[in-house]
Amino acid sequence: MALYFALAVSGAAPEQQLTVYTSQTSYSLPVLDRGGKPYISVADLLLPLGASAPIAKGKEWKFSLNRAEVRLAEGKEKATIGGKQVDLGGKVLVENGRLMLPMDAVLPLLGRLLNTMVDFHQPARRMFVGNTFTHFTAEFKNEDQPSLVLTFSQPVTVNENHVEKRGILTHTDTTTLVFAKDPVVSDLKTQQYGDGAIQSLSFSEENGAALLTVSGNKPLQVIRSDDGKTITLQAPEASATPTPVQPSAPSVEGQRRTPEFFVMIDPSHGGADKGASFSGKLLEKDITLRLARELRKELEERGIAVRLLRESDIDLSLDRRAEITNEQHAGIYVALHAGRPGKGVRVYTPLLTDPQQPVAGRFLPWESAQSGAISRSLTVARAVSNELRKKGMAVASMGMPLRPLNNIATSAIAVELAPDADDPQSLESQKRHNNVATAIALGIVQVRNQIEGRP
Amino acid sequence: MIPRHFQITVALVLLAILISGVIIIRMTHKEEALTLQAAGAAPVAPIVGGRQEHIQLLLAYDEDQALRWRSADVFLPADRNLRARETLRSVLAQYLQMPSPHPLAKGTDIKDVYFISDDTMIVDTTAAFADGHPSGILLEELTLASLIETLTANVPGIAKVKFLVDGKERETLAGHADLMSFYQTAVVHELAKEFE
Repeated sequence: MALYFALAVSGAAPEQQLTVYTSQTSYSLPVLDRGGKPYISVADLLLPLGASAPIAKGKEWKFSLNRAEVRLAEGKEKATIGGKQVDLGGKVLVENGRLMLPMDAVLPLLGRLLNTMVDFHQPARRMFVGNTFTHFTAEFKNEDQPSLVLTFSQPVTVNENHVEKRGILTHTDTTTLVFAKDPVVSDLKTQQYGDGAIQSLSFSEENGAALLTVSGNKPLQVIRSDDGKTITLQAPEASATPTPVQPSAPSVEGQRRTPEFFVMIDPSHGGADKGASFSGKLLEKDITLRLARELRKELEERGIAVRLLRESDIDLSLDRRAEITNEQHAGIYVALHAGRPGKGVRVYTPLLTDPQQPVAGRFLPWESAQSGAISRSLTVARAVSNELRKKGMAVASMGMPLRPLNNIATSAIAVELAPDADDPQSLESQKRHNNVATAIALGIVQVRNQIEGRP
Repeated sequence: MIPRHFQITVALVLLAILISGVIIIRMTHKEEALTLQAAGAAPVAPIVGGRQEHIQLLLAYDEDQALRWRSADVFLPADRNLRARETLRSVLAQYLQMPSPHPLAKGTDIKDVYFISDDTMIVDTTAAFADGHPSGILLEELTLASLIETLTANVPGIAKVKFLVDGKERETLAGHADLMSFYQTAVVHELAKEFE
């Protein structure tokens, strides 16, 4: 994904815009005021997502996306999506042959048309399609030359010309970094660092962009390193030439590492795909999500960054799970399952059903994308199985043609809980979840160094 | 002048003919309805003849998560496609009986089997095969391994197999086992050995 780091400063009021972030790209579209309500063009919003161009027949309009047909009528406040009526929160407008919708309609529209999670930060006009987020950590170094090291989970590219011409908003007391095209998000509001050259860091979002503002008592230098994953802000020394500062590697177990290596946890199934059904309301999709949260906690406590493919009960196709994992360059992929028959825990590695010769170049065959990573997957599976056995669990380990393991281009395993003594309630046991999650986390900690840097 | 008794006789004969006609028409309709009803419950493929053979079936046993070879006497035609189809149906018949070592849904059947090259075969199953299959990694993989291994044991020369569901590709059998890929029979043979 072509991300760039934009430092925008303008004296005039900026044009209002909505930014859409997807796993492949990000794009902005203008937001227009119509009668006090923000409106956007349907074509600007949906054509980049693969929708057909809206077609008019009188006052009736229609277009389609992901096989769902959308019907709208000029002046009406409702749309029909796949046969169901949806409130748009305002009238449909047509201007110069362009179909316009109120911005309030964006979430209900995309939520029904896209087969993935859509997260809309409406006040800031930032829309995230799928699990498309760039996270960051901030490390303050209070040395002779104080610095603040921002480490991002994905590269954020500095446009050097942009920096020089449009200027960093650098005064004696604030430096603001504006991320217009990067899906940068954070739970951080403001972090205080004392009263020196770097005093605080705050995160905010507005007008389709994320802003990181650093306050201090001096102008700061902005240095990019680590292929765009690291930005260092530091007070310049009078005579020294600025040099890139790499974040120091953690040396103590338990200290949080930079998120360049992370584990992608896949709580299998979700939404309409319930997975296996056990007694009453006990469903595989719920068990896997609970176990995924437990595993995230265990990994994060051991300093390993984690992402979950789903945080709630949503539909997510198997191919899409593999796409997200591959696009984000996960270090290890762990799919979680629960199922009969048997007991204990089963650890699966990918098994290529139709091994093919490697293809020259950058592209891998989808059905055998795992081919270059199988030995690493086996290493992870062995370590996890050993840790599970140490906890006294019955463990079976085997290769299996499971989807989407073979489509994952990095180390990949699947872990399946089986009900003890055919008692489905044992799948809900917190103690069991904790034991299994701890064992998986310990196994991953053991092999991390072997596989890190080889996504 | 026609005598009165002759008029009455003719009228009675005509009435009898009319009543008989109505009865015959109603009986015909009933027969057609019964025929159509019977057709709905019939197998999806015609019954085939052939020579009775003593063949080996690799059957899944859920209780102990194992695959075991069992023998069966099955009528197998000489035609390679039909032979493959009947072999697979004899495995499914074992799973559809009560009690079953590996229960599958009612309506599970093989619609068609055909070769797309000398050694690559497509197996088209009924929708019930996937829609009603119990969800679970092991349960699904045991089904596929059982079918593919039995097939290769009784129909020589098959190197790759792919499953369709009601004529279409499906991502997984019931949420887990891959149905998009071609299965190399040699790979499945190694997998099956883990459960024998």
